[in-house]
Amino acid sequence: MEEIPEGHMQLNHAETAPMLRASRFRRLRDQKQLMWMSLPILAYVFLFSYYPIWGWTMAFQNYSPAKSFGEQAWVGFDQFKFLFGDDTFLLVLRNTIAMSVINMVLGFVTAIAFAVLLNEVKTRWFKRTIQTISYLPHFLSWIIVTGIVATTLSVDGGIVNVLLMKLGFIQEPIMWLSKPHYFWGIVGASHVWKEIGWNAIIYLAAITSIDPSLYEAAEIDGANRYRKMLHVTLPGIRPIIIILLIMNLGWILDAGFEVQYLLGNGVVVDWSQTIDIFVLKYGLQIGNYSLATAAGIFKTVVSIVLLFSANMLAKRFGENRLI
Amino acid sequence: MGVIPTNALRGTAAIVLAMSLALAGCSESNGGGTNQASTSANGGTDSASPPAATDNAKPLDISMFIVTPNQAPAPDNRIYKKIQEELNVKINMEFLVGDAQQKIGVMIAGGEYPDLITADTKLVAAKAVIPLEDLIEQYAPNLKKHYASAWNKMKDSSDGHIYWLPNYGIVSGQDLGTYYSGPAFWIQKDVLKEAGYPTPKTPDEYFKLIRDYAAKHPKIDGNPTIGYTTLAYDWRTFPLLNPPEHLTGHPNDGGVVVDDGVAMVFADKDISKRYYKDLNSLFNEGLMDKEAFVQNYDQYLAKIASGRVLGMFDQHWNFQTAEDTLVSQGKIGSTYVGFPLTYDSSIKEYYRDSALPNLNNGFGISKDAKDPVRIIKFLDALMSEDWQKTLSWGEKDVDYKVGDDGKFYRTPEQRKQQEDPTWKLANRADGLFGALPKIEGTFSDGNATSAGNQPGEYYDSLKAEDKELLDAYGFKTWMDFFSPPPPNPVYYPAWQIDLIDGSPAAVANKQMTDASLKYLPIAIMSKTDKFDRAWDDYVDAYKKINVKAYEDRINEQIQWRMKNWASN
Amino acid sequence: MRTRSPRLEPAAFHSFNAIVMILLAIVTLYPFLNTLAISFNAGNDTIRGGIYLWPRVWTSQNYKAVFAGGAIYHAFWISVARTVIAVVLNLFLTSILAYAVSRKEYVFAKPITIIVVLTMYFNAGLIPSYFLIKDLHLLNHFLVYIIPGLISAFNMIVIRTYIQTLPEGLIESAKMDGAGDFRTFISIVLPLCQPVLATVALFVAVGQWNAWFDTFLYASSKQNLSTLQYELMKLLSSSMFSNSSASVANGADKGAVHNMVTPMSIRASITIVASLPILVVYPFLQKYFVQGLQIGGVKE
Repeated sequence: MEEIPEGHMQLNHAETAPMLRASRFRRLRDQKQLMWMSLPILAYVFLFSYYPIWGWTMAFQNYSPAKSFGEQAWVGFDQFKFLFGDDTFLLVLRNTIAMSVINMVLGFVTAIAFAVLLNEVKTRWFKRTIQTISYLPHFLSWIIVTGIVATTLSVDGGIVNVLLMKLGFIQEPIMWLSKPHYFWGIVGASHVWKEIGWNAIIYLAAITSIDPSLYEAAEIDGANRYRKMLHVTLPGIRPIIIILLIMNLGWILDAGFEVQYLLGNGVVVDWSQTIDIFVLKYGLQIGNYSLATAAGIFKTVVSIVLLFSANMLAKRFGENRLI
Repeated sequence: MGVIPTNALRGTAAIVLAMSLALAGCSESNGGGTNQASTSANGGTDSASPPAATDNAKPLDISMFIVTPNQAPAPDNRIYKKIQEELNVKINMEFLVGDAQQKIGVMIAGGEYPDLITADTKLVAAKAVIPLEDLIEQYAPNLKKHYASAWNKMKDSSDGHIYWLPNYGIVSGQDLGTYYSGPAFWIQKDVLKEAGYPTPKTPDEYFKLIRDYAAKHPKIDGNPTIGYTTLAYDWRTFPLLNPPEHLTGHPNDGGVVVDDGVAMVFADKDISKRYYKDLNSLFNEGLMDKEAFVQNYDQYLAKIASGRVLGMFDQHWNFQTAEDTLVSQGKIGSTYVGFPLTYDSSIKEYYRDSALPNLNNGFGISKDAKDPVRIIKFLDALMSEDWQKTLSWGEKDVDYKVGDDGKFYRTPEQRKQQEDPTWKLANRADGLFGALPKIEGTFSDGNATSAGNQPGEYYDSLKAEDKELLDAYGFKTWMDFFSPPPPNPVYYPAWQIDLIDGSPAAVANKQMTDASLKYLPIAIMSKTDKFDRAWDDYVDAYKKINVKAYEDRINEQIQWRMKNWASN
Repeated sequence: MRTRSPRLEPAAFHSFNAIVMILLAIVTLYPFLNTLAISFNAGNDTIRGGIYLWPRVWTSQNYKAVFAGGAIYHAFWISVARTVIAVVLNLFLTSILAYAVSRKEYVFAKPITIIVVLTMYFNAGLIPSYFLIKDLHLLNHFLVYIIPGLISAFNMIVIRTYIQTLPEGLIESAKMDGAGDFRTFISIVLPLCQPVLATVALFVAVGQWNAWFDTFLYASSKQNLSTLQYELMKLLSSSMFSNSSASVANGADKGAVHNMVTPMSIRASITIVASLPILVVYPFLQKYFVQGLQIGGVKE
């Protein structure tokens, strides 16, 4: 099936825009309504998101809430030096990126697969029930989920070890949570477990926008289930997949800290500690707001670089773009 | 990172965790929680002075922020109503939810405060609270008397003013404590019984009891026996980190031992190596819990509550809930007795400590308070014995009865309603009382200041097994297993010393804990012949940390305290 | 809708798919059922572990603790109010903005997109935000729940992406008929966006419903602005605290009281109480994105 779904073709019309040859003045006049619809909101965004950025000055101070702005001690790049100068920084960076990438890949693949497969279920009540159930874990806090994970993986009657031993894969229970090289995988699997249903919602919504005539056309061409999934459904949700991928790439340094903190322990610390945990320990927990701000700035810089690179790549490959 | 993270959601997660850490904050530093009431017969009887005639003429609204979590009382709460009727004061309380650091940081940045606020050193730095010593001298006779023994200690180490009114730890009258909540090496009562009620004094004797019992009972209730376990989860790291200081006869000073007024970090020293080497042997014999360093707090409690754990080092309050579960199942033999072990029976043990004023805790009056005099008078009025009884025991006949001998007691119904959370929100003022200064020990009429410490209530709670055990040792209470505490050293305790936010000392403290949690499990779980090498790695890791910055800060404060606290 | 050519659909596929779905349902249902079981199990028994799908020692104590004091009834309505109002406003404003930046001819489309997207990648921090709210006089005001969250960058992108997949001809023809952008948006685009709007409504609703941090920072001293989540947080904090050292060591009435209701059991019951109301909303939204709308009038 070579034809591109109609919806997809629409996406690249930005390039065709110059073809509308309207005079500049007329264009602006024509766009008065669009401006009314967007510029007030833009002002709002500036006020609530951009204006408070003055707080970034904290990163160059030893910020103390007790002092006024004029009284703060300015320390230049000391906070950054502490952050980058720590022996563990590279380790922490590695862990953060690794867990992010694992979570992202697993998160995307499982949610998309789930959405596509669920779309194939034709019995209405069954479909709805499955979907409702699948998103339930999203409403549980990490502390509950990690509690269940720890119990499940325990050497002391945890179901995973019991099953593996019954099936004869292992002789001795494995101490999953004290094996550093399993840690990233366990975190990834926990994320999938908690968020698969929630993450799939957005794809399910996107699937609804696929023109049903495309399925019919595919059927006439003799496509079977698998081919329809591959050549109609997936391309149909491709724009949103690409957009979400680009956005998520920007969050690569946000591997979180909650699940790592709750599942981690001294034995696996070299694999479990993320940037956010580091900042929590050496920043927020000991009242050093400045370190947290400095780390935030570092993350923002990395985010923006990644975001624009990913966007450019998308453009080069003719994919849908975020910006 | 999920597929749909939004800033808002991630922020929330951050806070939830930060909160659990903040809760930890109340017993931060390895030492937390040993401030249990304990004997100090210095008091004599404090007779109640009648409430100072307060100027109750016009109604006063007092706003409070209390930096411990609690639920808001029911709107028609009986005790708050009584306060309003009799003292003409209406209280508007807010309790901490979430992270104290963030809340106070924002409050300071905003620069507006409620009338009363509970202690945080940042508030002093921000000049958010006013000095109290003159107010107390002039208007608050009850408070003045109450704090007489702690007066100098309450002074701020930077400017000598008193900003806070400690809410616990000043014991008057007789200390009736029967329950030991502090640190000890705990061992199951069944183990003691089978061995004929011995008194282990050293780790060797203690571990031998465990070895013998485990050899005879490889399974308990069908599951493998766990000889010894420990815990190093989240902020609850003291079960793993604190034993060496106690084994060497030092009191709980957190991360340091103090000899002749000089503090030293002990975690990487030979006095620690000896204990962890013992654990290494236990591990290689299969008696040490394999999951000890991986388990979370819930798993730890579950193990203890299953009755399979023969012993561990911990502070009693930390595993109390698990023990309660054992009691409710009738497994009294699986509950624990604590022993104050030392490396060598020639070393004098120092587990119990004397009551400590809970410095840098309790209320302070903010700069925004309109009528500080009226407020201090109000607090003083609540320090009278009558109000203290109302706040602690409740109202006579409604919440407790008075026997013919003048002793307070509760009927079974009254005891039961004290357990009902809904009832409590409407009938007790626990949220306020927790933060107030309070009389501990006994009232002038000989009654305990809290129902739980009334001797009658304690003996009622002892089970047959407990009585047998206590008789065998010839003791009356669980406190008797420990030597009576000497007067605390002047500087004590070092764990209360504020390391100063963001200072090199605070950073070093974090790094030391990290290193211990990382390297100690490796050493303990190594093969016997590899232990020394693993230990050397650990010591090397400590060499990279600025331990001196930490020790210097502690020592500087110890010196300061010795100079300023020596006389009361 | 049944497919027309069943011969192309191996029955094996359907069975396989059903099995995968059922397995997934079991795995994802378990944690919730486990939480439910723990919420009905006596706190001091839960400590022992081993509660899976059914309580061992039944009790309603954990729920009684949640409803004790009665503060959560009022808080519940505050939560409902903030959720409903925020969903309506956020949906409307975010989709207007999304429509505007989806218009290829709009000169500011790209700069606005960049400006809005970047907000997802930085965070000014707590204290400057607090000052802003204070300067706007929103402290201890109901609107503090609504105004800071009127626009969501993520949702704007999701809606924009969806609008871009709509047949361009529809919008063009509306314009040919003389409709302005606003009318086109209201009468053509919005109705077509139902699935994505339902999705975004869900995101906003869940975010609003679960939020407690804004109450913590900006409205904590005003009890009648307290939200359900904040009240539950309060309860959890206090139960954790009453099991900590300060309370056990100093507390007068040790024993009985706090072991009946442990943090673990409270956490379970508040999770159920907090999530049930929002779960009830789900089926109403679900039909929009599970069913699959025929794009009105586009085809056929």
